[in-house]
Amino acid sequence: MRVMSRVVSLYLPTWPTDRLRRKMGAAAPDAAKPLVLVGLSERRREVIAANAAAIQVGLRVGMPATKAQALVKELVIHRADPVADAEALERLALWALRYSPIVAADDPDGLIIDATGASHLHGGEDAMLAGMISRLDAVGIAARAAMADTRGAAHGLARFAAWPRLVVPERKSADIIKPLPIAALRLPFDTIQGLCKLGFETIADLLATPRAPLTLRFGPELGRRLDQAIGQIGEPVQPVRPPDIVEAQQLFAEPIGTSETIARYVAKLTAKLCGELELRGLGARRLDLLFGLVDNQVQAIRVGTAQPVRDVKRLTRLLCDKIEKVDLGFDIEIMRLAATAAEPFTTKQASSSLIDEPEADVSGLIDILANRVGERRVYRLASVASDVPERSVRRIAAAAPDTGDGWPTQWPRPARLLAPPEPIETMALLPDHPPVNFTWRGTRRRVRRADGPERVFGEWWKCDAELIAVRDYFQVEDDAGERFWIFRAGDGEDAATGSHKWFLHGIFG
Amino acid sequence: MSGYAELQCTSHFSFLRGASSCEELFAHAALLGIEALAIVDRNSLAGIVRAHEAAKVTGVRIVVGCRLDLTDGTSVLVYPIDRQAYSRLCRLLSVGKKRGGKATCFLNWEDLADWSDGLIAVLIPDVADDACALRLRRLRDIFGDRAYMAITLRRRPNDQMRIHELNNLAQRFQVASVVTNDVLFHEPSRRILQDVVTCIRHNVTIEEAGFLRERHPDRYLKEPSEMARLFSRYPEAVARTIEIANRCTFSMDELAYQYPEERTMPGLTPQQALEKLTWEGATERYPEGLPDEVRAKLEHELQLIERLHYAPYFLTVNSIVRFARSKDILCQGRGSAANSAVCYVLGITSIDPERNDLLFERFVSEERREPPDIDVDFEHERREIVMQWVFEAYGRNHAALCSTVIRYRAKGALRDVGKALGLTQDLIKMLSSQVWGWSEEGR
Repeated sequence: MRVMSRVVSLYLPTWPTDRLRRKMGAAAPDAAKPLVLVGLSERRREVIAANAAAIQVGLRVGMPATKAQALVKELVIHRADPVADAEALERLALWALRYSPIVAADDPDGLIIDATGASHLHGGEDAMLAGMISRLDAVGIAARAAMADTRGAAHGLARFAAWPRLVVPERKSADIIKPLPIAALRLPFDTIQGLCKLGFETIADLLATPRAPLTLRFGPELGRRLDQAIGQIGEPVQPVRPPDIVEAQQLFAEPIGTSETIARYVAKLTAKLCGELELRGLGARRLDLLFGLVDNQVQAIRVGTAQPVRDVKRLTRLLCDKIEKVDLGFDIEIMRLAATAAEPFTTKQASSSLIDEPEADVSGLIDILANRVGERRVYRLASVASDVPERSVRRIAAAAPDTGDGWPTQWPRPARLLAPPEPIETMALLPDHPPVNFTWRGTRRRVRRADGPERVFGEWWKCDAELIAVRDYFQVEDDAGERFWIFRAGDGEDAATGSHKWFLHGIFG
Repeated sequence: MSGYAELQCTSHFSFLRGASSCEELFAHAALLGIEALAIVDRNSLAGIVRAHEAAKVTGVRIVVGCRLDLTDGTSVLVYPIDRQAYSRLCRLLSVGKKRGGKATCFLNWEDLADWSDGLIAVLIPDVADDACALRLRRLRDIFGDRAYMAITLRRRPNDQMRIHELNNLAQRFQVASVVTNDVLFHEPSRRILQDVVTCIRHNVTIEEAGFLRERHPDRYLKEPSEMARLFSRYPEAVARTIEIANRCTFSMDELAYQYPEERTMPGLTPQQALEKLTWEGATERYPEGLPDEVRAKLEHELQLIERLHYAPYFLTVNSIVRFARSKDILCQGRGSAANSAVCYVLGITSIDPERNDLLFERFVSEERREPPDIDVDFEHERREIVMQWVFEAYGRNHAALCSTVIRYRAKGALRDVGKALGLTQDLIKMLSSQVWGWSEEGR
């Protein structure tokens, strides 16, 4: 006789809000406070998820956000992030691998675990479900679980009959799901509505109706879901796999300690790793090198690259640059090199020198610099369409593609901007004359030539303070021929537009 | 202190560009002591009537003008000196708009040359480059001593140098320069509204607008003394604003309503023709004899029509209705025209004035001094036939389809501003549901 499969469905009714609270940690709002997540649905702000407290006070998923705000005072609102929710659910599925090797995320709000022949390891079926729920509860995730013969039945029971858990004895699933509402069948919303209109309420009603007319009206999906629920057709679970980490390891019978030896083995490990990466068509974005020391301590170094790399020499160099930074103390027993982030490596045809200039590849330089001084300190600047000087540039990643916005050439701008602008002492006539002289960092400079004012308004839509703020910029040249970019806060007439204090903002040339 | 006339004001009739109404501009100009104001909307004279009225109220003189954006990118301000020039300017705009189709206007230098008599032209330059030199030369060739070049402060780097070079270039081509301020709104606080309408025009939110916003600040009306101070290097260019304003003697008051002649019966004046048709129609309408009451009414109406010279208009409507009837197209006059016994006996309306004692003065009155309007509804499926007949009978160039000008009311304005500020649709919907009724007239 065939072994009956046993499937657990884990239902997380408030997954998005639970996840957010976990992510926020100590800053999370009180669990007793109504919390909703809001997202855009066809240009309408809608409640995407709500916690138990919010449901208690009558908020529902799908309600306009403005209505929810109107209904509940002091409602806590956060932005919904369905993509992050789905990713976190995948990670939760990896955690559930402890119960059974076959686990899958059941988007958007649950897990499906094929526990056939696995429950005895966890003290029986009921104890396994109880354990799951209490563990999740301990970390603040509400869960309900049902175990049945089929995935369809377990899914429906977890959502409509498990308070908080339910184990259906073997071969009883088909009977026990009969009184469940048809919404338990994982059918499209339109089909459920259509069935309700026709007076169908429970699965039993559907089972008692001839199949052919139903299929004719609602398509094959309805029959398939019914059969899956009662076990007429199988429904395998596509299990998650932990992401493959490409790694290489070297054990030392005789622990090593000198940096030359370490460097030699780093090169060997890198070559091994790159060979492995090549087989998979990947390039490393991040490498972790772990040293297991004789005193059982573990030391690690990590390097990152701007683009996927599989070049042994380059990676070795990046790693060796970092070796000096770790304090080993004891000799090394184990060295393990893992590509903790890898991306598909695209091969590019080498350009023929006859036709075009090869594009200079600076990614090697970027990597060396970034690993020495820090990733965030190597960047490029891109222009932004804004008249406010501070906002007219932004930093982008060093290896990021061009934004396509050119640099404005219309008006002269200083090569260096001071952030923040530095106050200067001046003598100037109002309303729109350049200063006669100014004192910056203790040095007094006489203004020989000046151009201006260039009037720059605050960007009124950014904040209230900028509604009427004005700056008058002047380009001035001192006796020594040095050029500065200075401004006066305010337009020189109306005191509301600025304090009329002077600042030095940039240096030309 | 010399006076100053602002020759470049864009009103909100340059839709989604100007941010102040003519009334606001003129009231503010009066406050600041500006002598004259020229309303120059883009390829349009639409704002002139309002401006004319505002000028009368405030005592600030109006200079009628228009900004022409030519297809090669040149922008020229033109001001008609007299009534003939004004009619030429109207013709010029008609040419451009007919060529451009809906909401566009395609004009080129040849058109400008064709209709240039009596127009003063002011070139709006960018920087003193070859393109500017070429345009100056062309303008000089076409307009002679009526050609000028605008110098405008932009509050951007190298402004003084730019103006200096432009001034030199203008002198080389013997074109006089004149100060303008390129006004988009009457007072500084309107800048935000101007940014918003710019966003609506480009259909972007304010966050995305970037350099689409107006990049030359200070586009508000300034006092004559301030303008004199800003352009203290060019006092003659400031004085020229008054010179141009004085050269333009044209006033909207010179325009009178001229109804085209209607000749249906040779040998008779329109009034005689109308009387003839009326009495003929009356015997048809009252086969049992004309009641005295109606006769008195008809006589009274005909007298009034004669005094006000409206006979041709009645004849026009009559001939259109006749045509429709001859083709069995249903038509029906409605509105205040139903108060008229003449309209009844001509068959334009079908309400018997004998049975309904209606006041003819509601329709035409001496006090009101404005021409009557007779609304006639035609059967909509065959309305096209009537329209084609009108085109044929009066000529395509003499017939026009009228449309109503839409403008923002509270809800529409709220919707567009909300969109420009990047609010979500449901928030805008909620806000606009708080608005009810019609907004105030005109704003």
